[in-house]
Amino acid sequence: MSARTDGPRRDTPSPAGPNGHSPRPTAPRRSPITLHDLVLLAALAVVFGFLYWALVQLWGWLQVAMGPFGDLAQNALAGGWMVVAPLAVYIVRKPGVGVVVEIIAAIVEVVFLASPVGPMLLLVGLIQGVGAELPFALTRYRRFGWSVFVASGISAALFNLMLGVVRFGWAGQDFFALRVGLQFASGILLCGLLAKVIGDALLRTGVLDNYAIGRAERAAARAQRR
Amino acid sequence: MSATAFGRPLDVDSLLHRRDPAVKLALVLVTSAVVTGVFDPWTPTALYLIALPAVAVAGRIPPRTLARAHVPFALFGLSLFTVNALTRQGEVVGTLGPFDVTAPGLAIGASLAVRTLLIGTLSLGFVLTTDGARLMTSLHQHVRLSGAFAYAVLAGYRLLEQLPQQWQTIRQAQAMRRTRAPGRGVQRRGSRAPHRPVALPRSPRALTRAAFTLLVTTLRRGERMSIALETRGLGAGRRTIHDPARLTPGDAVLTGVVLAVVTLVLLVSRHAGLLAGWGALGVFG
Repeated sequence: MSARTDGPRRDTPSPAGPNGHSPRPTAPRRSPITLHDLVLLAALAVVFGFLYWALVQLWGWLQVAMGPFGDLAQNALAGGWMVVAPLAVYIVRKPGVGVVVEIIAAIVEVVFLASPVGPMLLLVGLIQGVGAELPFALTRYRRFGWSVFVASGISAALFNLMLGVVRFGWAGQDFFALRVGLQFASGILLCGLLAKVIGDALLRTGVLDNYAIGRAERAAARAQRR
Repeated sequence: MSATAFGRPLDVDSLLHRRDPAVKLALVLVTSAVVTGVFDPWTPTALYLIALPAVAVAGRIPPRTLARAHVPFALFGLSLFTVNALTRQGEVVGTLGPFDVTAPGLAIGASLAVRTLLIGTLSLGFVLTTDGARLMTSLHQHVRLSGAFAYAVLAGYRLLEQLPQQWQTIRQAQAMRRTRAPGRGVQRRGSRAPHRPVALPRSPRALTRAAFTLLVTTLRRGERMSIALETRGLGAGRRTIHDPARLTPGDAVLTGVVLAVVTLVLLVSRHAGLLAGWGALGVFG
């Protein structure tokens, strides 16, 4: 039997020799996003998209009730809007996952739930996803300590701020400094740290056993027992 | 919109219903992107006054549905208007409490508010005339969206349809368990009429627990679905398409008309000296 078959091949061609053994022992190679991962991302995006959509409905009234500070509520809550991206990267640990999950969440909100923000959400999701995923990409998707999640929150907040400056002209307003402060606090707490808290809680339930996060956990447990 | 109607178009046939979903989505995106660069109140207002009747007639959307769906957009727009009117520098035209109302603030606020209504109307026209599943087929065909991605989104859509029901079940189950817990001053089982409905707990703690349970059950269902899809060979190479989405001359006409109207409004507005872009913000020099 040849090493390469014509069957389903979702992973990159393996460096395996004719007898099926890898020529050198390397770290587990990183395969592209599989259907298994994609459906998980869709499920995550759906739940968070649904919760975001419910939040947006409440938030509209809150905004009007708070008058001129209402628009600032957006910056205070912004981190929560992006939490699904670091969470997805934490679980699947592959390049592009944070961006894909944000885009699916945006599709769900726009196409299926008719969000008041409109199709621009697709662009917003893309930019927020890139922002949240950047620090994980810089560690080559290998480090998942608290500090990386804080960096992810900061980076996502920064990208979101830049987007707001372009979309809503925030920079010309009186409370720009307050906005920046709220945005960063929200990014760190509601996006970065919350993602790790949710991810760890999900891991304990066992639903993530068949994903990268569960495999890494088992590998770590084995290493500890030795 | 009822919970079961997520992603389903209005049950009528109309000009907009017959157009290709990917074309409609592209037009909404392009128009939204163009008006994002406009900061005077007149241009978006003109576009809105054209778009509203056009969407209602071409999509056969009842005025009542359109009006009800405007509530969230109107709230969002009102908030944008308030914050901009009160917090921008410029010529002061009045005061409200500790805040100065400025002329540029009013203009930019009005522009952003009407822009919200305009984009909202366009998205409604899209959502109320488009089937979610057809959109994914069309994107798969015309934008070369990967089949695995399209099916993952559709699986997500199926999960979404079940979410409200799931949410209700989880909260009811948790409420039942709560009534049985002894010694908390809550009603014990059998202490009152058995068919009296139990109030669902509304504390943030209870809602958080329900949300987390919802996440876990949805992830479980999702994994089962992905295994079902994989055993049917999805994601294993090229596939044929059942009931393909065909582009028709009507799609070309729609594209031409929308782009022409947007261009015309922008040109007229510029000719009249009303059009204002990023410069109106007074931030970028």
